[in-house]
Amino acid sequence: MRLCLSAAVIGGKISSLMSKLAGGRGSSLPGVVARRIYSRSLKKLASQIKSGVIMVTGTNGKTTTNNMIAKVLEAGGRRVIYNEEGANLITGITACFVRFSNITGSLDYDYASLEVDEASFPKVVKEVKPDIVVVTNFFRDQLDRYGELDKTVQVVKSALESLNDVTLILNADDPLAAQLGLLTGHKAVYYGIDRQEGTERAVAQTRESRFCPRCGTELHYSYYHYSQLGGYRCPSCHFKRPKPDVEGTDVSTVNGGYSTRVCFSEGCSSINLQTAGFYNLYNALAAFAVGRLLGLDNETVQAGLERYTPAIGRMERFRYRDKPCLLNLVKNPTGYNEGLATLLSIPGSKDVFMALNDNAADGRDISWIWDVDFEILARHLDELQSFTCSGTRAEEMALRLKYAGVPTSRITVIGDLESAITVSLQGEAETAYLFATYTALWPSQSILCRLAEKEEQHAVGMSSVS
Amino acid sequence: MLSVCHLYPDLLNLYGDRGNVLAFLQRCRWRGIPVKLSEIKMGESIDFNQVDFLFLGGGSDREQNLMAAELEKHRDKLKEAVENGLVILSICGGYQLLGKFYRTINGEEIPGLGILDYYTVAGEERLIGNVTIEIELDGKTVKATGFENHGGRTYLGNIKPLGRVLAGYGNNGRDGTEGARYKNVFCSYLHGPLLPKNPEITDHLIKLALKHRGMEAELTPLDDTLENMANETMLKRMLK
Repeated sequence: MRLCLSAAVIGGKISSLMSKLAGGRGSSLPGVVARRIYSRSLKKLASQIKSGVIMVTGTNGKTTTNNMIAKVLEAGGRRVIYNEEGANLITGITACFVRFSNITGSLDYDYASLEVDEASFPKVVKEVKPDIVVVTNFFRDQLDRYGELDKTVQVVKSALESLNDVTLILNADDPLAAQLGLLTGHKAVYYGIDRQEGTERAVAQTRESRFCPRCGTELHYSYYHYSQLGGYRCPSCHFKRPKPDVEGTDVSTVNGGYSTRVCFSEGCSSINLQTAGFYNLYNALAAFAVGRLLGLDNETVQAGLERYTPAIGRMERFRYRDKPCLLNLVKNPTGYNEGLATLLSIPGSKDVFMALNDNAADGRDISWIWDVDFEILARHLDELQSFTCSGTRAEEMALRLKYAGVPTSRITVIGDLESAITVSLQGEAETAYLFATYTALWPSQSILCRLAEKEEQHAVGMSSVS
Repeated sequence: MLSVCHLYPDLLNLYGDRGNVLAFLQRCRWRGIPVKLSEIKMGESIDFNQVDFLFLGGGSDREQNLMAAELEKHRDKLKEAVENGLVILSICGGYQLLGKFYRTINGEEIPGLGILDYYTVAGEERLIGNVTIEIELDGKTVKATGFENHGGRTYLGNIKPLGRVLAGYGNNGRDGTEGARYKNVFCSYLHGPLLPKNPEITDHLIKLALKHRGMEAELTPLDDTLENMANETMLKRMLK
């Protein structure tokens, strides 16, 4: 058996090397090869993890949350393997273990922190038993692949029910994620963000769940953060937002990032994030909750979060000559709405680039762009200089902008990514802001790396503990 | 003033179908045709006589059941409005609901509103993918593109299809029909959404709505370059 595993690992590693020599990224190929050589590769490799396996699933924020958890654990001196680049199907997860294993098939790590695709979650937990599962949120995403949202929630719920002895870390602000605590009966730790005063957020957004997931009555919201995240309660069955065990309060924006106070049973501390995007606060709070659950002290958790650098396309920063450029991965209406809010929060004029692809990994149905609140752009035209639409469905993207009220004179359609990015970079605005769907992201990033300079994250100031 | 009514947008908000309402409204506004939108929520009353264009979309299973129960209350008035020539666009789940029944995988028959003559049977595999159809509008043949994603197979009775499938599945993947059409009611499985990149259909609906209201139905031409480009991209891809 050991020989089989060793052969599988070697096969995987060779395929990775070959694929890289051929210019590929090779993120899940080693997993495919290893599983073909020895089908129990993943099970055998994962069983060697010493202290615990953490899984992160949900619609948005998986990659960021998982990378933050890994940084937090590393800051606490733990040895961690994690699928950093977001290869989150069973093959990608196998590949991650292959990469960290030596050629005899042994691993010497304390934790595995794995982001797992929602639809693959049942398959993965059959081979790897998680000790902690983080569920970030459920939004509409790639309906043609998953069917409808209800089914996705159902799939995750059934898989969780099949597990014993697991702790769930759940987003209290999302009724669809939070209900999993009650429904599965597992021990649950909730995280969330308190009501924010004076933050103006789009209200006309598509909201997933206005109905009580337990009894079907319309939920009452006292406030919304975005999409269906907020303070809710059911008037008939009393299902409501659970009191978070880890809660962000007093959120403020600092130098393009966020600062928040974090309160939990024993007191409060604070975190500073050098990443734009309100949603990243949720990701940080989830990582904070994991760190505390695993017994790390607040300073260590903070140090880890501040060590986090965005993965590809999660608000990656570049500089073209003197012009700042931001790259933002978009996958679904909620993520896009948050991206637009971030775009409009940047002061000064902007050149906007929007790449829309309809390959399988993007979702072949691009109807979802009509659920994005692009109408908000028409209200800020004075600061939006140009819109360059690209990708396999560039025309459709342009059409969406037109019906949102953006004048066609500001919209250009250029199918070729490189020419389109060049136009945005060379535009006269102060900042270039680039949106790309999944399969447009890697090519866009490599074009940016060639044309512009990648910017390192700024050093972060000392954070206070109170 | 044209009055557009979007039924239960908070329930039936899947697949970007609100883009259909947006397209109808914008193409009226761009021509200076006064238009207003009312969004009807659960429990609210509707006066179909005040409506010139009614949009009914699809939702997830649970939400669709809620909608069906709600619409049942308005069934007779809706049927009367249909007979009187109310212009309706109904997509996917909304389309199925106007028919006689929906037979589930277990053979259970869930009654529809029974306003139009067709029924739907659940299938094992969902019919998912890009789709191109051919429609006759005022004697002119138009090629429309969209995206379908439905588990149910619809079989037409004594009613005309909306169009003929050129590529994709359509009503049931077998008989080459897509959607249904009765008086001024247009039903289809096409998401995408249907109206924005098929402006001839949108304009046809606007004309019918104007006529129904007794208004002048000549439409000023608009610049449809982007609409046609978006449509062409898919036609080229699908009709090689």
